[in-house]
Amino acid sequence: MSWTRRTFLKNSSLAAGALAAPAVWLPTARESWGATLSEGEPIKIGLLFSLTGGLAVPEEDSTLVMQYAIDEINTAGGIAGHPIEPVIVDAKSDFSVYTEKARELILRDKVISIFGCYTSASRKAILPTIMDRDNLLFYPTCYEGAECTQNTVCTGPLANQHSRDLIPFMVENFGKRVFFVGSDYVWPKESNKNAKIWLENAGGELLGEEYVPLGSSEFGPVLAKIRAAKPDFIFSTVVGASDIAFHRQFKQEGFSADDMPIASLTTGEIETKAMGAENGAGHFLSAPYFQGLENETNQKFVEKFLSSPYGKNGVTHYNMEETYTSAYVFKNALEKVIAERGIEEVTPTAIRNACAGIKVGADISPEGEIWVDENNFNTWLVPKIGQCQADGSFKIVKQADAHVEPDPYSIYPDVGTCTAEGLLAPDGTLRTDVI
Amino acid sequence: MANALILGISIASIFLVAAIGLTIIYGTAGVINMAHGEFIMLGAYATYAMQTYFGLPYFLCIPCAFVIVGAIGFVIEKLLIQYLYHRPLDTLLATWGVSLVLIQGTRLTFGSDPKYIQMPGFLSSNIELGGVSLAAFRIFVILAALALIALVWFVFYKTDFGIKVRAVTQNREMAAAFGINSKQVYSFTFAFGAGLAGVAGALFGVLNIVLPTMGTGYVVQAFLIVVTGGGALMGSAIASIATGEMQSIFAMLLNDSFARFLIFILIVVFLRFRPQGLISAGGSRR
Amino acid sequence: MLDNPYHNKTLQWLAYAAVFLLIGIVPLLTDDDFLLNQLATYGVYGLLAVSISLCWGSGGILNLGQGIAFGLGAYGMAMTMQMQSQAPGTIPPFMANNALETLPIFWEPFWNTGLGIALALLVPTLFYLIFGGLMFVARVSGPFFAIMTLAILSALATVFVALQPYTNGVNGISPPTGLVIAGTKIDPYSSTAYWLVFALLLICTFTAKLLTQSRFGLVVRALKDDPERVRFLGYNVAVYETLVYALSGLMAAAAGASFAVLTQYVSPAQFEVGFSISAVIWAAIGGRGSLLWAMLGAFTVQGAQSYAGDAFLNTWILILGFSFILVVRFLPGGFAGLAELLLGRLASLRGGRREEFGQAPAKGAAK
Repeated sequence: MSWTRRTFLKNSSLAAGALAAPAVWLPTARESWGATLSEGEPIKIGLLFSLTGGLAVPEEDSTLVMQYAIDEINTAGGIAGHPIEPVIVDAKSDFSVYTEKARELILRDKVISIFGCYTSASRKAILPTIMDRDNLLFYPTCYEGAECTQNTVCTGPLANQHSRDLIPFMVENFGKRVFFVGSDYVWPKESNKNAKIWLENAGGELLGEEYVPLGSSEFGPVLAKIRAAKPDFIFSTVVGASDIAFHRQFKQEGFSADDMPIASLTTGEIETKAMGAENGAGHFLSAPYFQGLENETNQKFVEKFLSSPYGKNGVTHYNMEETYTSAYVFKNALEKVIAERGIEEVTPTAIRNACAGIKVGADISPEGEIWVDENNFNTWLVPKIGQCQADGSFKIVKQADAHVEPDPYSIYPDVGTCTAEGLLAPDGTLRTDVI
Repeated sequence: MANALILGISIASIFLVAAIGLTIIYGTAGVINMAHGEFIMLGAYATYAMQTYFGLPYFLCIPCAFVIVGAIGFVIEKLLIQYLYHRPLDTLLATWGVSLVLIQGTRLTFGSDPKYIQMPGFLSSNIELGGVSLAAFRIFVILAALALIALVWFVFYKTDFGIKVRAVTQNREMAAAFGINSKQVYSFTFAFGAGLAGVAGALFGVLNIVLPTMGTGYVVQAFLIVVTGGGALMGSAIASIATGEMQSIFAMLLNDSFARFLIFILIVVFLRFRPQGLISAGGSRR
Repeated sequence: MLDNPYHNKTLQWLAYAAVFLLIGIVPLLTDDDFLLNQLATYGVYGLLAVSISLCWGSGGILNLGQGIAFGLGAYGMAMTMQMQSQAPGTIPPFMANNALETLPIFWEPFWNTGLGIALALLVPTLFYLIFGGLMFVARVSGPFFAIMTLAILSALATVFVALQPYTNGVNGISPPTGLVIAGTKIDPYSSTAYWLVFALLLICTFTAKLLTQSRFGLVVRALKDDPERVRFLGYNVAVYETLVYALSGLMAAAAGASFAVLTQYVSPAQFEVGFSISAVIWAAIGGRGSLLWAMLGAFTVQGAQSYAGDAFLNTWILILGFSFILVVRFLPGGFAGLAELLLGRLASLRGGRREEFGQAPAKGAAK
């Protein structure tokens, strides 16, 4: 509806400079930088995703689904009568642009919250700015945890939730011997540390752990090691383009999903479409959401989204769904703040604090009811395991009995626990802004 | 170990296929073509388009990729590169601009979502011989690399065009005195090199993912091979085999990241002592 | 006088002074936090472009890996800032997550802010001295040297990603607070930060300018045109090449260190090929032959990226690519070449006589 694309003139630095010029000759004391809302004004939020460059593949969808959610909220009357106005920027898949745009959104556009980022690196790039200016980041995707800031709300699964059911399921159904393959960066290594714990509990045996450089498309050496180790299944945290190459070469090298399935944390509907369904069929994915989830909310969501102009890519993906629910976490939290304190008192910090325990009900959330943890502001959700079918869609084969608690420091009990006020070390010291 | 050596040959063949077009363009015309990776990308998209829109079988798409990307290369040479032959460093900069345009142009045409190229079923099997195993597709790429070497050798040493190319490479003025149109020779050489990159794209599109940015990873690697090889065909072949084997063996013994790092360093050390590369393409290129 | 005013030394210094005066007064005109921070970042990019112009425009050494010094400098500064935010005896949180129990030995010096900043500048410079020395003594030059810098750049990127326990890998280092010097925190959005970058840019550019006009600079410029002849004249070419390369490395390191102060973040993305080539693009579009124009090139391209990039969302990269092609094809001297040509024409018109040098230097710069 009323979202604005930046225009050159509106944001021209020359214009800004000229306006400010007569007023000041001496640097004045800085006024409070906290963004606020006021009666009769739209609620401004920033959408900080990459629309061009390599990261545009997942992040363009994130922007589209956010626009869809905003339209939906606005059509239903906005948040306490106020429409949402997204400020959409392009981070160009470049971390220094993420930083620059985050600053522009906070300092110039004075947005009340930012929805953005897919990779942890981009999140780490903008967090210092967000913390410095007490803004709020809704980070709508899975990540490794081990972070405790007072400025983030995450709606994707943490490493401790993501593979908790997947590993025992695979061990039970396919055997104890497993081989870990991942892209060479932080998230796969952290996920594998969690997976090792589940594996040990399930009585499995780790035969090898290999990492390939991000973006690499050569899986020859890794597959040769796998051939020699003869595992019962593979646990994969290979991401992006490499993931496609891995699945294709897996089949080309004569491996089959029936004998040695790949259990992945990221190979969803978009990936199987790109690799060709025959290369994905038979493998497993753990995610809180699948396009094929059979509940009324999801069926409505898929139908409505795909027929809207934002659904042009023809798929709903776990990452998109996590982004979609983050908009409703924001809406519910903001409604609570407005009801309690009035719109003039809304600040990013107030929204963040209100997110504690906020629920998005099964009537809205396509993955089923979720809620935000009161201490670490990650999300309680139900991880599900799907198996890729011959047509590239996923069939749910297992679903956790109850919601799983997010715990960013589950494997680092010595470091501490994340509380709403900061990271509480075992010796009782509290540290804020731990990134 | 036997597996690692065989796999090394396979990796070498991939390196060589990626580098062969650049070898021609750099070795003959002295153009530092930073858009080489994008020519590879265009080859993959050409294959995708032929397969999806015209229903051509995969094997027929490969020569199509050669022709399409060769034609694009020809146009780029006529519009831009031909004015820059006396400024090799500027070819590097201008072709970087070309690569930006090609990436974004492709994204605007085909969209930014990954594309999928279907491969004949019989290529996705694994062949085992006495404890050594290799995927059929890898064997296909090795054969393709050999075929491309043979093709380039044939074109350069057995055809009229090849004689002209070699004459122009050795001495442009003298060749002109014999009535060789060096401008035309350069145009066709550039187009030939671009076409070979297109073939590489047709092959890699199956191993990998087809995206507008898929080419960016190839260009540095291909350059290191060409420079190590010295700009000559055989030089590139030897450099590919050396780096491919090292990549495979180091990756088996240690890990992939370390293998890459070691190869970069070894190349720098090698070029420190032999800046002209393994086999100098010779001639008065500049 | 009928000489092209572009080549008049006094006028050149005046132009430098005028541009820097203009940049220097910005914080007096505005207190827009974002604008100051953004312009300061452009200043850092400008410094990087000056460093490229120094070794490429003056010395003829095209360096596609200037991100080496920039990245190392940025890491050094980010490590310093990270340690400033640490309580004594603790290790950065990411290390604890990577199973380290004590601070790695090479992190120890960064407890000391002065030492940390010195290392941020000296390590890359030393690296350039050694690498440059090895290469130039072996008479590696031109495109070969450019490709070698690419190889080193890629190797460094691989190492920084692979050494995750020590560098936090791909996620990079984001110090939670700004740099503190002598008890004062430098707010990256303040005029203080702006003026720091400004002073650095001023010092580096003027030093480089003085240098190119010195005897040393003359030899360096002669190298660009014909290294063989310089060698026959008895100069040790490798020494001159190494020195100018290392000096440009020092400037790039300073740029990198300031970048870390301004953005509070550094990651292996700084070692990406694309970033280093962007720096070359800035210098080429502005004019590699002129330090000042190279700097303005960085301002222009980055400014356009920030403001036009979103307006022309999908076509922006096309525009950038095409304008780069056009500059290389028709304006090898960049904006500087254009200014030189126009000023030459103007002078000859005024003198009523045909100026003959109008185009010649542009060709020289095209080398």
